[in-house]
Amino acid sequence: MIRNYLKIAFRTLWKHKTHTGINVVGLAVAFATATLLFLTSWFEWSYDRFHTDVDRIYRVYLQESTGDVTSIMPYPLSPALQAEMADAESVTRMMWSQTEFVGEKHVAKDIRFADPGVFRTFTFPLLAGDPNTALKDLSSIVITEDMARDLFGDQNPIGKPLRTDGLNMGRDFIVTGVLANIPTNSTFRFDALVRPETRVDYQANKAEWGNRNHEVFVRLKPGVDAQTAEKRLRSFTKKYWQSEIAEAKQRGQKPDAQGEYISLRLQPLTDIRFDTKGVMGGGVSRTYVYALALIGLFILLIAGINYVNLSLARSVTRAREVGVRKSLGAQSGQLLGQFWAESLVICLIALLAGVGLAVGLRPYYNQLFGTRLSFDLLTHPITVGCILVAFLFITLLTGGYPAWIMARFEAVTVLKGKVKGPKSGGLRSILIVAQFALASLLIICTLLIGQQLRYLRERPLGFSEEQVISLPLRNRDNLTGARALQQLRDRLRNNPDVVSISGTATNLGSGLDGSTSRSMSGWTYKNREVETDWLRVDFDYLKTLGMSLKAGRDFNPAFSTDTVSAVIITQSMAKQLGEKDPVGVVIQPDTADRKYEIIGVIPDFNLFSLHQKAKPITLHLDSRNEVSYALIRTTPQGMVRTMDALKSLWKEMAPSAPFQASFVNENTNRWYDKEERFSTIFRIAAGLTILLSCMGLFAVALLTIEQRTKEIGVRKVLGASVTSIVALLSKDFLKLVVIAIVIASPLAWYAMNQWLQDFAYKIDIEWWVFGLAGLLAVGIALLTVSVQSIKAALMNPVRSLRSD
Amino acid sequence: MIQTINLQKLFATEEVETTALNGISMDVKDGEFVAIMGPSGCGKSTLLNILGLLDNPTDGEYNFYGTAVARMTERQRAQLRKGSIGFVFQSFNLIDELTVYENVELPLLYLKTPADERKQRVEAALERMAIMHRRNHFPQQLSGGQQQRTAIARAVVAKPKLILADEPTGNLDSKNGEEVMKLLGELNDEGTTIIMVTHSPYDAGFAHRIVNLFDGKVVTENFHV
Repeated sequence: MIRNYLKIAFRTLWKHKTHTGINVVGLAVAFATATLLFLTSWFEWSYDRFHTDVDRIYRVYLQESTGDVTSIMPYPLSPALQAEMADAESVTRMMWSQTEFVGEKHVAKDIRFADPGVFRTFTFPLLAGDPNTALKDLSSIVITEDMARDLFGDQNPIGKPLRTDGLNMGRDFIVTGVLANIPTNSTFRFDALVRPETRVDYQANKAEWGNRNHEVFVRLKPGVDAQTAEKRLRSFTKKYWQSEIAEAKQRGQKPDAQGEYISLRLQPLTDIRFDTKGVMGGGVSRTYVYALALIGLFILLIAGINYVNLSLARSVTRAREVGVRKSLGAQSGQLLGQFWAESLVICLIALLAGVGLAVGLRPYYNQLFGTRLSFDLLTHPITVGCILVAFLFITLLTGGYPAWIMARFEAVTVLKGKVKGPKSGGLRSILIVAQFALASLLIICTLLIGQQLRYLRERPLGFSEEQVISLPLRNRDNLTGARALQQLRDRLRNNPDVVSISGTATNLGSGLDGSTSRSMSGWTYKNREVETDWLRVDFDYLKTLGMSLKAGRDFNPAFSTDTVSAVIITQSMAKQLGEKDPVGVVIQPDTADRKYEIIGVIPDFNLFSLHQKAKPITLHLDSRNEVSYALIRTTPQGMVRTMDALKSLWKEMAPSAPFQASFVNENTNRWYDKEERFSTIFRIAAGLTILLSCMGLFAVALLTIEQRTKEIGVRKVLGASVTSIVALLSKDFLKLVVIAIVIASPLAWYAMNQWLQDFAYKIDIEWWVFGLAGLLAVGIALLTVSVQSIKAALMNPVRSLRSD
Repeated sequence: MIQTINLQKLFATEEVETTALNGISMDVKDGEFVAIMGPSGCGKSTLLNILGLLDNPTDGEYNFYGTAVARMTERQRAQLRKGSIGFVFQSFNLIDELTVYENVELPLLYLKTPADERKQRVEAALERMAIMHRRNHFPQQLSGGQQQRTAIARAVVAKPKLILADEPTGNLDSKNGEEVMKLLGELNDEGTTIIMVTHSPYDAGFAHRIVNLFDGKVVTENFHV
């Protein structure tokens, strides 16, 4: 019997190749897309969860009663917590990873600074070496498997000397441990760990509570909850931030609900991946992760609905078979089994094709969306299990329902040739509304995301980012950033393509070196709390970036004091200081040992992406802060020539360091790579849902029109025009699409409003977007339906009437 | 032997009620060949469907070889139908996706007949209907007469006690129609009970008895010898 079912199944499928094709392609595409999207969101969700007892690991952050939060901490905090925080099992500092060139081959590697507690706090297993002693000495370096292979090949790296070049660390280390490679779903990505004490600024700042430049992580003891630990940290905070608290009180700052002015808080490690702006930002929005999973689900749902509708449409043509089989003694259950087996075959083919598609598309998908889905993740038992369960569920629902409907056809009616097909117009309508609601939702989201992206790209940043090249200067010993900048100035002085040259510590946009840094300073000025980006620049910064002065003057090499004690501030900084005419005003940040005189005021500009509100900025030339990037403005015609000239120049200046120059406008565009990817996903998803929905609509239109052939014939005999018949047939579908848009619009508004909360600068959601999306959906639906309607309307009525 | 007592069948829509059968009582003895005749809409096919256990009467009794079946569920009827009734339709109703052989085999599959016996019986039926040489063809590749012979082979393969034929020659030319009628006659001679709905007086001539229906009632019964 089963063989007979399968035989019939294959022959039926083969006979109706178009139908089968639409079904298989639709389902396969849906399976593949859903698999990739689910994996992506699972991957995001799994971030940092590989650490054992991850719920005990927290990032320490500082919260002021004004609402300001930061997770950037001073050097002495970690030792103090280690000594005084009884709830902590272990504490470690984690500094940003820094690209350094190591070994004789000068290979670029990411090095992080961490305390020995890193191995107790996190689960980074050592393949060689003892976690208790691996970072005991300042000369210790722990490297990953991959780095060991790159540097030492098959040799045992333990005990081998390793020299790092670079600005902060011209130092020799001894390899004391080999780490298993860091999982791809880890927030911390690095090639090697060394002690923070090896940093050049450590000695000067080790007892300095006002100078903050790294993050601190704690592992709480078992059974201690974060709230309790935070409560017990209050006295600790009062002890070490005494003066800040006193100042806050003096300023008249209001304490928070717990009566605190400054408090140390704990953020779960697993929240960091999703931290878009809370503490440090830079994370992936949870909206994004949910949206991916939801879109996957949508696409599956739509393909499933299609399958149901297509099968129902086809069921009419199979009614006779049902009748014959029933008259030969088949029972409903057997027929149900047979039709379900057919669905199973289709779904199985679609699943195999879909998984094949997912495997084949994975590299492109990764490239397109910047994800790191591995093949292993696809073949992971949980993934396979989920796919199988989902598959069974889908086949059960999508195959089962039409099978059930068909098996219930009454033999007598169908043998009389009177089958009208399923009458469940209600269900069919609901399915179409659901499909088009999803499609409209995605169209609206696509439009709004595109708008926001364009807004981010086009909103003036306050400086001119066109025709400016940014060149990372981080390189080998004895060529400091300042010296490299000087050399560039000397060598490019007579180059007609170069308009001006400057330098900075903070790159504008996201450059090819992929690193970002921020230096901030806060103090009390005339009873006002002042916070500012403390930005190291070089001469001609304003000229190079096309910024103009509002008051005062630019930095000038002719004034010897400019490199020591002059600053230029932005207008919002001036406002913060409360000075109407700030030029000439002298300021002294707490952390600075000097006084600075304000020599100029410039308009505000966005030093960082438009996700965050621009903070007041103070520009200075203090050479104790390193210049890490050269900025070169070229003439409009000289962009390519200058890039080439820089490349050969760089080769002479630093032969072993990579040339990573890029255009600033490209770099600022890269700030929104995440949104760009998001937008791409939505565009593709919207396209897919529309395509799939239209396929479904097409099938349903076909079915309904087939059922109304006689009615159309009669109407035509009575004198109906083609137009009136097309209108008659299309009207019902359009009604459904309109209902769908009405349902989708508020949902889309809500979802997009949530998403836009991630941006400090955002568009207003305008009503015409919904109108446009509606028009699009209606237009596409009309096009799909009208093909069938027109065909039916043009049919010779004699034929349609005879066929009854 | 089958017997109906006062069979009623009403078709009701929301607005109209149509009486298709209005008190039909008839007996059909084992081995009889009965033709049912009457104008369009007189209830012939409705009666045949009830006799064939495809449908239930609205009222009245139906005794099928000693079993009262008038109130049976679809499931019970299907169980009883299997193997005891063979159908022959005007439009053949072969399954397009199956070959001649597979079509004929189908009732045996539903009866769960063992494979070797199945093969033997299908081949015998095909031989009998002189369609063996077409066993691997699909219905669309056959002439109308061949299709109907296949349908008859399918109707007899399970050796049913009763064959119900609904205008078996309606879609055939006279030569093929004659052939089909002869085959039915032969089956009847071998003891199979046959009830046939027909418009054709010529075909009805093959039957022992003609039952004339009009407006859902038996109006006359003619006996042949």
